[in-house]
Amino acid sequence: MSAGAVAEKPRSPLKDRVAENERLLKETGSMFGLTEMRRKAEDPGKYESVWHILLNGMDAAWDVGCKVSASPVAAEGGDAVWSVHVPTGESVCSSKGIISHPGLLSQLIRSYIDNDYEINPGFKPGDIFENNDPHFGGIHSVDFQTLIPVFHDGELICWVSSVSHVMDGGMILPGSIGFMNPDAFADGVPFVMERIGENYQIYPWYEKRIQCRTRMPDWVMGDARGRLAGCFTVREKVLALVEKYSVDYMNDVMPEYVEDGRRYAQVRMKTQSVPGRIRKSNFKDLAMKGKRVIKPEQGIDCYMNVPMEVTVDKDAKIKFNMRGASGWVPFGENITPAAVISGLMNGYSHMVGFDMFNWGAVAAWELDSPPDGSWANPYPDNYFASSGVAWAPAIIWLSSLYETLGRLFYSRGFIEEVAAGGATTMTGEFAGVNQQGVYVAGMTLEQACNGSPARGMADGENSAWSIYVPNADFGNAEVNELYYPILYLGRNIEPDSGGYGRFRGGLGHTVVWMVQNTPGIEYACGDAGIRSKVLGNHGMFGAYPSCPDRPSYASGTNVKELIEKRLPLVHERGDPEDPTLVRNIKADVVETSVIAPFVTPSELHDYDLIVHPISGAQSVGDPLDRDPADVKKDLDNNWTRARVALDVNGVAADYDEKSREWTIDEARTESRRAEIRGARRVRGVPFKDWWKAERERVEAKENMDEAVLRMWRQSMKLSPGYGAELREFWKLADDFTF
Amino acid sequence: MSQYNKAELRKLVDGELEWSRVQEIMKAPKDDDRFEKWVALRQDEVAWDERILMPLTFKLYIVQKGRERIVKCECGHEYGDYRVNWKVYANIFVRDSVEDLHEVYRGREQPDSTWQQVREYYCPGCDTQLEVEAVPRGCPPDFNLLPDLDTFYRDWLGKPLDEEMEFVDKTQEVIDSWK
Repeated sequence: MSAGAVAEKPRSPLKDRVAENERLLKETGSMFGLTEMRRKAEDPGKYESVWHILLNGMDAAWDVGCKVSASPVAAEGGDAVWSVHVPTGESVCSSKGIISHPGLLSQLIRSYIDNDYEINPGFKPGDIFENNDPHFGGIHSVDFQTLIPVFHDGELICWVSSVSHVMDGGMILPGSIGFMNPDAFADGVPFVMERIGENYQIYPWYEKRIQCRTRMPDWVMGDARGRLAGCFTVREKVLALVEKYSVDYMNDVMPEYVEDGRRYAQVRMKTQSVPGRIRKSNFKDLAMKGKRVIKPEQGIDCYMNVPMEVTVDKDAKIKFNMRGASGWVPFGENITPAAVISGLMNGYSHMVGFDMFNWGAVAAWELDSPPDGSWANPYPDNYFASSGVAWAPAIIWLSSLYETLGRLFYSRGFIEEVAAGGATTMTGEFAGVNQQGVYVAGMTLEQACNGSPARGMADGENSAWSIYVPNADFGNAEVNELYYPILYLGRNIEPDSGGYGRFRGGLGHTVVWMVQNTPGIEYACGDAGIRSKVLGNHGMFGAYPSCPDRPSYASGTNVKELIEKRLPLVHERGDPEDPTLVRNIKADVVETSVIAPFVTPSELHDYDLIVHPISGAQSVGDPLDRDPADVKKDLDNNWTRARVALDVNGVAADYDEKSREWTIDEARTESRRAEIRGARRVRGVPFKDWWKAERERVEAKENMDEAVLRMWRQSMKLSPGYGAELREFWKLADDFTF
Repeated sequence: MSQYNKAELRKLVDGELEWSRVQEIMKAPKDDDRFEKWVALRQDEVAWDERILMPLTFKLYIVQKGRERIVKCECGHEYGDYRVNWKVYANIFVRDSVEDLHEVYRGREQPDSTWQQVREYYCPGCDTQLEVEAVPRGCPPDFNLLPDLDTFYRDWLGKPLDEEMEFVDKTQEVIDSWK
């Protein structure tokens, strides 16, 4: 080559394959151009068997990886996942655990390919790659993503990946739920699309970085070893399948599983839904004014517009749209489109594409790019927006997915598939010296067990569901008590925590912790998808949404004395206007209705109490249409209160102390329901009359908090079409802003 | 392919099927005649004669009325063209004060009325609470579901409706007509 000549950049074969796959999908409508699934057709029994062997292998990896980790979130909570992917990145099969991640892992592999990593540094057997950065396929820094390429006879046959949620990611505040992070520079120790090991060994400098940049390096390294142990487990399983069934078979069948996933998701929608358009507004508060924050500009209340529009076309292809999403926030609650896709793949698997959970379902729908500069796509405006707990607004958005798909299924007649709307995800984290004299920073997994949404013909299940993990499990109280200086005084189903409706949402629960054996500990009530100021917009078919998330705590209490005297303590929330905490406890500080999220202003000490609520899910239908027999059952089980039964469900009942049972008074019930209906007739006004008066109030911005006004300004600016529709509806001037 | 008779579907709809049987139905391949049977079951429930084109909610239906397709309540109250958000023809009550919210949500369970309104939509015919919205002031009502009926009947069911209609949201036309 002559001097001055520029060498041609080598081509990445994987990149060429990606381009070819995209062309084939576009032209044929099938993943990898698989209009026929040869392996499935020639031997469906073997096809199914191999799938189940692979799936069992993934779950074995989950068992191995979580236990090798030994960190409580992994070992007790199982907050991790393992996946296997085809060489171009599409996930094929995943373990149980945090299945909100395989979509991200697929896109991470794609990032490696798109950035020519196949050329530099190259991929070879024994390589270990890692990422936790959201700019390239991560979600938030505490979710560490590990990838290993798997080769057979020198050919890359698949990737194996893993994610685990570490206890502390070196963020600006202890723990892993970084809602308080003001920007990416507070988001913790970065691993940005790196190779962290080769020859099946982690580089020594990896551990050194963990050691000097995280607060719980033993647990974080444990997680790294756990992820790797699980990845090696999958690798062994895959190579065993290659040995048994041949590499040709595995190279053919893994892409077929992905295409099968796509077909299943598409056929489900064609069979179960109707074409058309659904609109679902939802909103989420993040009220931080007056609370402990890090930077002065964070002393504000935020209100996030979390809108969902779904269209189903004539081919049952789904399109999601987030027009109207409000702007990024100066907190750790911004997310990327890649992560939204991964969350959607997870949520979709709950309602639609759940037979073979893999990337295939993603090809059955499209997500329009969220507005630039919104909380769902912040980087065009702020490349350093924090994603400390990026899931927070996404969880709220995914709750809308339940209801929108539920309406489609209802209209088609599949009422058993209807789900009203999800619960929220509020975390409890602790940071301080525990009962063994060891500094700990981490969370329980109390939030991984909510009530489940009401169905089209039945109540939801109590404490049986989680939006981000199929195996809902809040872990053993006794195990949590080993790690943190807390004792459980209660873990009880909470009455009326699943909204009110003809069919109610599954109930959540309340955990009561007593701090014990510590010189002092911080409690962070974290936002991984909550509403504390407001209700969710989930009044499907006339139901009332479940109540906001409001914890309580008491500091400087007389609990020691009460224990010595064997007097009543606190085991539940109690009456919302007369909480048990206030009734039974005297304390220097008592906060009974705290707007979350927050970190306690000062440390908590022995005998301090925390009442941490875990939400139920959403209801469906007019509460006056609830069968009185179901209300009686709720009363007998202490799942509803008499006041709610009478005033919301219109059911009059009497309690017999002797039999300890409620009896419905049918005559009084009929009359009470007539009374409530009569009240509706009196107070209800024609919409047109209300609209006329309301449009003046909207124009005057009457009774609208500044957070609401700021939200509307952002939504209308980032999505001009959305803004125009809003102005048009209220007949506001073309240049009107909030 | 699964098949369920009307009697069993009736029990499913009424919430009277054993949960284990409901789970079997959920896990089995979906029955391809569910929509027809579903509509037939719902037609049995209503006292009026218009043909149900699609159930929307527990109480609301899209029906064929002459040459029009309208939203109609189980009680008989009629709302107008199904391409107009039926909420603009309903009665509404809005809870946006502490006093009004107190009837349903109290103490630590009560949302902040400066951040959100709780809008209750009632049927003018039977006072059923048809939908509830919990949204900030300024939020137009959600047009929850606008189905593309002609595509559904023609392409998905293979039974086209008599006269096709444009698939379009006509709500703003109604708002525009208000002074």
